[in-house]
Amino acid sequence: MAPVLIATVLKATEATAANYAFVTNQNGNSLSVINLNTRSEAARVSLPGAPAGVAVDAARGVFYTVSAGSKVVRKFGLARAEQQAERTLDGGPIGIAVSPDGQQVFVSDWYNARIWMLNAEGLTPADMIETGSAPAGLVVARDGSWLASADRDANQISVFDLPSRQLRHKIPTGLRPFGISLGPQGRLFTANVGSDTVTVADPVTGKVAATIPVGARPYAISFGAGAGFATNQYADTVSVFDLESLRVSATIDVGEYPEGIDATPDGKTLVVANWFSNTLSLIDAGTARVIAEIDTGDGPRAFGRFIATGYAEEK
Amino acid sequence: MQLHRRSILAALAVSAGLASLPLVAHAHGPTRQKVTLTAEVSAPPSEVWAVIGNFQDMSWHPAVHSSTGAGDNAIDATRLLVLGQENGPTIAEILYKFSDEKMSYSYRITEVAVEVLPVTNYSSHLTVKPGTDGGSVVEWRGAFYRGYPNNDPPAELNDEAAIAAVFGVYQAGLDALVTRFGGN
Repeated sequence: MAPVLIATVLKATEATAANYAFVTNQNGNSLSVINLNTRSEAARVSLPGAPAGVAVDAARGVFYTVSAGSKVVRKFGLARAEQQAERTLDGGPIGIAVSPDGQQVFVSDWYNARIWMLNAEGLTPADMIETGSAPAGLVVARDGSWLASADRDANQISVFDLPSRQLRHKIPTGLRPFGISLGPQGRLFTANVGSDTVTVADPVTGKVAATIPVGARPYAISFGAGAGFATNQYADTVSVFDLESLRVSATIDVGEYPEGIDATPDGKTLVVANWFSNTLSLIDAGTARVIAEIDTGDGPRAFGRFIATGYAEEK
Repeated sequence: MQLHRRSILAALAVSAGLASLPLVAHAHGPTRQKVTLTAEVSAPPSEVWAVIGNFQDMSWHPAVHSSTGAGDNAIDATRLLVLGQENGPTIAEILYKFSDEKMSYSYRITEVAVEVLPVTNYSSHLTVKPGTDGGSVVEWRGAFYRGYPNNDPPAELNDEAAIAAVFGVYQAGLDALVTRFGGN
């Protein structure tokens, strides 16, 4: 085969590697696997116990979910959305994040001010980390050197060194931070439900860089095309803020009760789960416009990182 | 899920003898609930909206004895609903969206005792849409958490109780509109 032809074939393969959204439907007790290229639901899997939290680990070909009602954490293979392991916890598990090496899974306990550290293999409990009151969102550094939680009722971010799990910083935020995300420049962003703001903070120095006013009841944040995107539950909008100026540059109408938000790996498309509308809104990051709306199961929450390639592909 | 029809009047009967402690709840349960009810009536949307499209007048709902408020239909307008009778239990609410054009308004409860309505973090939309044969569809949607913010709720404050109570309020209101405007 001629080299040119090989390049063409590779390019074609690349173009067909679809992105999928793995959407936890909290009221419908299901998981929607949404093909973001064809913009349709590829599969719906039963997922009992009011699932909310989700974390994909594309490199390992797995994803994890947290059922807040039944307190069950599950591990699935990405390729077929088939369950590989499950673990019942106590308290109020909600948020979930995976370490970059795929070895540990962290789960926040809303009711007991702590984070479980589970071994990714088999989801066996390995350790417990104390946080401020009502930890919700979790995020791990890209190099695995720290873990951060949005402690909702303590109005703070807790940053822990990894692997020591020692508390490094308590960073004050706006009121009742829920979602927490790591921006492209290594800063933390929390969506502060109670003060309608986003707090921007440095996980290394522990300093707050800015507070950005957004829409009513912000829930979660993601990034693309040099901008941040915050879902506003009560406003039915997404606030777009520039990552240099840290000011809101646009506000986009989406479905009702927008909650979870994540970006495709190329950063070109933001995907928003509209909890009341039972849809995903797809936003073009460059133009800040909605380009599609896709049906999901009942009550899509998608709280965490929920987009990956690899569904319906053998690894 | 099986829903038990229960009007807010029944809830009032339960609450009548109870000291109502206002619950200023930021904490909430793990799973937000939603209820959507619709009713078809034969009157045109403009006629229905003229009756229900005023945040300061909820006299169309049989459970509401009186409503006092400030701010008309502007964003952040408030109202205090007195339920059942004079000096009855109250629900304080705030308006956060209003559109005559879309015939829709959205409001939140800012204060209610869980003995009156066993919910927290409640928000709601009331909308009139065109129906069949020149009639209207009234849609009432609510999103809320159960009355008990912590783990292991008692039965009267669990997710099912919250859904049943909101369902009852909406059904009573929509039934009154069907009676008033005729079913379709």
